[in-house]
Amino acid sequence: MALNRSLTAPLIDKNPITLHVLGICSALAITNSLMSSLVMSVALTIVLIFSNMAISLVRHHLPSSVRLIVQITIIASAVTVIDQFLKAYMPDAARTLSVYVALIVTNCIVLGRAEACAMSNDVKTSILDALGNGFGYSLVLIVVATIRELLGAGTLLGYQLFELAQNGGWFQENQLFLLAPSAFFIIGFLIWLIRTFKTEQNEQPDFRPMALPTGEKRP
Amino acid sequence: MAREGPIKAVVVVLLTALVCSSLVSGAVVLLRPIQLNNQLLDRSRNIMALTGLLPADRMVKDDEMLVLFKSLDARVVNVDTGQFTTELDPDTFDMRRAANDAELSTAVPASEDPAKLGRRSRYAPVYLVWDGQELDRLILPVRGAGMWSMLYGYIALQPDFTTIAGMTFYEQNETPGLGDQIAQPRWLSQWSGKQLLDDQGTPRFHVSEGKVEPGAVHAPFQVDGLTGATVTGNAVTNLVHYWFGPHGYQSLLQHLEAQPPRRGEDES
Repeated sequence: MALNRSLTAPLIDKNPITLHVLGICSALAITNSLMSSLVMSVALTIVLIFSNMAISLVRHHLPSSVRLIVQITIIASAVTVIDQFLKAYMPDAARTLSVYVALIVTNCIVLGRAEACAMSNDVKTSILDALGNGFGYSLVLIVVATIRELLGAGTLLGYQLFELAQNGGWFQENQLFLLAPSAFFIIGFLIWLIRTFKTEQNEQPDFRPMALPTGEKRP
Repeated sequence: MAREGPIKAVVVVLLTALVCSSLVSGAVVLLRPIQLNNQLLDRSRNIMALTGLLPADRMVKDDEMLVLFKSLDARVVNVDTGQFTTELDPDTFDMRRAANDAELSTAVPASEDPAKLGRRSRYAPVYLVWDGQELDRLILPVRGAGMWSMLYGYIALQPDFTTIAGMTFYEQNETPGLGDQIAQPRWLSQWSGKQLLDDQGTPRFHVSEGKVEPGAVHAPFQVDGLTGATVTGNAVTNLVHYWFGPHGYQSLLQHLEAQPPRRGEDES
């Protein structure tokens, strides 16, 4: 049961993007096409699994003074290997994603899960946690990319679903959806939607207006 | 062993570095040949697309495409003199490596360097496409600094050496979704039929700042600008101006105009 929770909780309840608001840079940058989002999701999930597994394996031997250095080294190696694999076997996808595969190193989800989970849990829990967070990230990416590609270009995975007005069809595409700011709004609306139904995710306001002592009037 | 302590920390870091670096270098060494092959295939396919020799109705397999590519009339030209040379082998000559080679490259004066190259190779591999005994297309390599990355491409010219037959960028790392639209076939397809040079032979072609107005004086020399990619668009204009200016292929084009190349000869 507890194991299942570490797999399913990150999907919505503890989603790395919509709850923790991590990994936003890649979610903004590459969600203008569904295909690159899928490749990115797979790449990040594999990196996450590898880094969580490796860090969980060595967690008892990591002096806390060099903890972060070792974690980043492991993550960066996994990312470089994935990047090389993509360049060799999926050259087109690698070209589209360009620097963003290499930038998985700076994706806060990976280091965040290493610190929050892999450093204090056994290998099995860490792998499940990695899978769960990878899927949670992928879920948001796929939703955002579907909206953006469909409304921005009328296509999904490159197939023309809506015939564009410029080619004699009915659909007037909105190219704003291909630009990064649109993902910012879509993710914002997603967070709003989720927190409307999952009110426990709402944060306490940082500041409250000071209550006036009873009987006193404002000047 | 104690969990803390400087010796332990050093040992752990060294071990991690050792394991990780062998993992990374192993992957790089093993995958390098496949990546190089991909690059070669991609570049050849880009060149072939400019020749007009690939059938448009179907996807040509890599092997078949390579056979066609090998049969192209490839020559090395001395960019400074505009003469073909037989001293270098067009199949193995690497223009990119040559640009960093003191003997094979020349410095571009800052005042004549809109494409921000710094140095450029003195030689360039070019491709001639023949229709019978008539020259059909001339394909020239170009490059220039974009917003983030060096843009590498090929431009194909009609036998009048001013009408563009096609353009391609086979390598660039511009902003995904904005600047990288320069590699989109839909945008590149506008290039064909546009005029490169004005009556005096100076480059006039440029990427417009919006849509090209049909019928405008500049229209034959323009392609549509790219929304959100002004810097990359200007970089493309600059690289065209450099490569067809006095420091680029101007002497080659003048030379070819005065003495049209013939099929099957390597030197003229």
